[in-house]
Amino acid sequence: MSDTLASETHCVKAMAAKDFSSGAHPIWCPGCGDYGVLSALERALAAHGRPPHEVVLVSGIGCSSRLPAYTSCYGFHGVHGRALAVATGLKLTRPELEVITIGGDGDGYSIGGNHFIHACRRNVDMLYLVMDNRVYGMTKGQPSPTTEPDWDSDIAPGGIGLRPFNPLALAIAAGANFVARGFAGDPQGLADLIIEGIGWPGFSFLEVLSPCVTFRPEQREWKHMVRPAIMTAATDRATATAQVLAEDGFNLGVLYRGERAPVATPASTKITLADIERQFAIGV
Amino acid sequence: MARESLSVVFAGSGGSGAMTAGNVFLRAAANAGYYGLMSQLFGPQVRGGESAALVQISTIPIEAQPDCFDIFVALDWDKVEQFAVEIPLDENSVILADKEAGAMPPSIAKSKAREIDLPMSDPDLTRLEKALRGRHINIFAAAAVAALAGLSEWNVGSALQAVMGDKSNEVIKANAAAAASGAMAGKKLGLDFKLDRARKADRWLITGNEAIGLGALRGGVRFVGCYPITPATDLVEWLAPELQKLGGRLVLAEDELAAINMVLGSSYGGTPSMTVTSGPGFSLMIETLGLAVAAEIPAVVVDVMRAGPSTGIASKTEQSDINIAIHGTHGDAPRVVLAPTSIADCISTAESAVYIAESLQVPVIVLSDQAFGQTRVVIDPDSKRPKPMRRRINGAPSGAQFKRYAIGFDPVTPMPLPGTPGYQWVAEGLTHSEIGLPASGAGAHVAQINKRAKKLQRFEPGDFWGESWGEGDTVVIAFGSTIGPAREAARRLTAAGHPVRIVGLRLLAPLPFTALASALDGARRIIVIEQNHSAQLYHYLLGQKAIPVSAESVARPGPLPFRSSEIASYVA
Repeated sequence: MSDTLASETHCVKAMAAKDFSSGAHPIWCPGCGDYGVLSALERALAAHGRPPHEVVLVSGIGCSSRLPAYTSCYGFHGVHGRALAVATGLKLTRPELEVITIGGDGDGYSIGGNHFIHACRRNVDMLYLVMDNRVYGMTKGQPSPTTEPDWDSDIAPGGIGLRPFNPLALAIAAGANFVARGFAGDPQGLADLIIEGIGWPGFSFLEVLSPCVTFRPEQREWKHMVRPAIMTAATDRATATAQVLAEDGFNLGVLYRGERAPVATPASTKITLADIERQFAIGV
Repeated sequence: MARESLSVVFAGSGGSGAMTAGNVFLRAAANAGYYGLMSQLFGPQVRGGESAALVQISTIPIEAQPDCFDIFVALDWDKVEQFAVEIPLDENSVILADKEAGAMPPSIAKSKAREIDLPMSDPDLTRLEKALRGRHINIFAAAAVAALAGLSEWNVGSALQAVMGDKSNEVIKANAAAAASGAMAGKKLGLDFKLDRARKADRWLITGNEAIGLGALRGGVRFVGCYPITPATDLVEWLAPELQKLGGRLVLAEDELAAINMVLGSSYGGTPSMTVTSGPGFSLMIETLGLAVAAEIPAVVVDVMRAGPSTGIASKTEQSDINIAIHGTHGDAPRVVLAPTSIADCISTAESAVYIAESLQVPVIVLSDQAFGQTRVVIDPDSKRPKPMRRRINGAPSGAQFKRYAIGFDPVTPMPLPGTPGYQWVAEGLTHSEIGLPASGAGAHVAQINKRAKKLQRFEPGDFWGESWGEGDTVVIAFGSTIGPAREAARRLTAAGHPVRIVGLRLLAPLPFTALASALDGARRIIVIEQNHSAQLYHYLLGQKAIPVSAESVARPGPLPFRSSEIASYVA
């Protein structure tokens, strides 16, 4: 399978961010944080150095999940919530490809929550980037698993009344090997986190605060609230968990780096189908 | 007088070793050159429930359970009563039971079968010794019945070795001793169940689940994503190590939603991929099945059907997933639905399923069922293999922007593998343009719907559509595990001067209209027979105008298998 890749792919000329753009016009509202994420991703991929045809962006459903079509990479825009499963099947059978999973908070934490847990646990070598705007934007403004309990909406007047869950703590507990937070309004800082996440072995989880200016206009204030994380990235899970449970959710940077080896490709013994079929023969 | 076939039930509570007894007896007969078949009956419990091995051996191939069993061996009587209705016995049947095991339950006794005392464990052993050393009465019983059938001790011995291969020497020795005394006890019973001489040949012993696994490997499947579910689990348990030996991979997913999405991800990457499930899991996969249709990603989905709806009866068979296989998922979502025509045919149907999925870039559903999947049978391995068909990954025009979903004369368009320079495309589940960008206009929608439909309209199945057996203007249409008993019924009716034709459908969707029409040529009476309550196949064929309104329906739910006598008495 790997013979489709050019052997000297790593020697090609330096790439620019625009080499990773498809030129398609995003459906996102003006001012959407996802533009910043797209731009950071293009910069990061250019710096990472692998050509667009060696990168696959896998996504689910939601505003942010539209992203693959806006790049010049291969892509898979599947059903709601299942992007991590698609990416897992792809990466396990084509480990030489750069597989990046993209999505939003509803896609990844609600309908896809089970896959999020198990992708962390499985620790397949890939980056999972979630654009968290704490709202279902595509369906016009319902509270997601990360929405504040008192945020008023048509479907939950007066607020949903539930404590938002902490995706970073969840990722650390479930076994992600790299956990970080970025901000859509800081494309260069975000690009650096993307590059580090791609390079880190195992499952890297990157939560990106990406404001929804249409349904959550108050998130415009996030640019005044974010700050580089004052704590250093923990390397043990207990410390990392304590840190992400204690902070306010606006610390940017790497918050956990683990040392678990990613899931390995099992060694195959070279046998043929005829060898396998012999087990069915009767008698002598 | 020697007989053509013999049917035997080994029954007992779970842990009594009924399945092992059945396997040893079946394999001993296979060693001697007989055909054979063993169905398995389980209760819902993992341990301690009822279990029975239903074995037939014969000089000719067997594809159906008998109307009545000749010999019923009770390893114990605990809970066996729950099976009474699934194990037909009559006054010609013989029940072999140890008096020590207690009285025969009334539901078994009312069959009027003759009960014969067969002391199965060494009377000199104390209860403690039995508990410590094991009773081995299952092997004793298997050897006793083998002796009645005229099978040599050598054949039993080598069967025992094959079945117990991984056990310690001590265990094998104890079982061999039990087999020797069983053979002696069997000969002393003075019963005549001797079989005609068998003709030896190179044959295979295989279950339907293994056969599908093997066919998938032959077809090139090298990735399986799955979630455990009865009665499909043993298929993937068989596949896991074999896939690994071939350099492939099986992933135990967190649920069926993940399983089928992993399959699409791996298939998108160019690896022929499959998932294996049963009704409840299949229901969970349905949304993603639509994605496979819309994004045009090859995938094989095996549904080992069990009694539904909901959790139904996990361990027992039914043919009631026809509707969901053909129609399941919202929107217009053409897919291919196949059903093997026998356990032996599971191999080549599964192999073909991979080729069809790959060449048409569609999901292909293989409808097996528990009666196929968990039945072990002696087959003549077929040396004919389906002609390989591959995925089109090359041949797309280069230069301009690549049109993955191009509308043109050929509805099957190249899908270059990720990693190929210059052909980047996005697999898209939204209605899309030719280049794969989301589009919500009527033009793109209609064009892509037509493209997907055309792929199946152009599909030319040739001989693969199904099979037809026998002559006669009475025609029975069946599929899957109902074909076996229908063919046996036809054999009997034809012998009695009432020729009956059997048409077994292998390709359920898209319906092979031309081939079916010619198979039905000259029919004066058409009967569609299937194991579900709502006559799903019948209504499908009627709705497609593939059969006339005068066609009759025989439809009843599982889990009881169709008996040949049941079919014969309806058709006659």
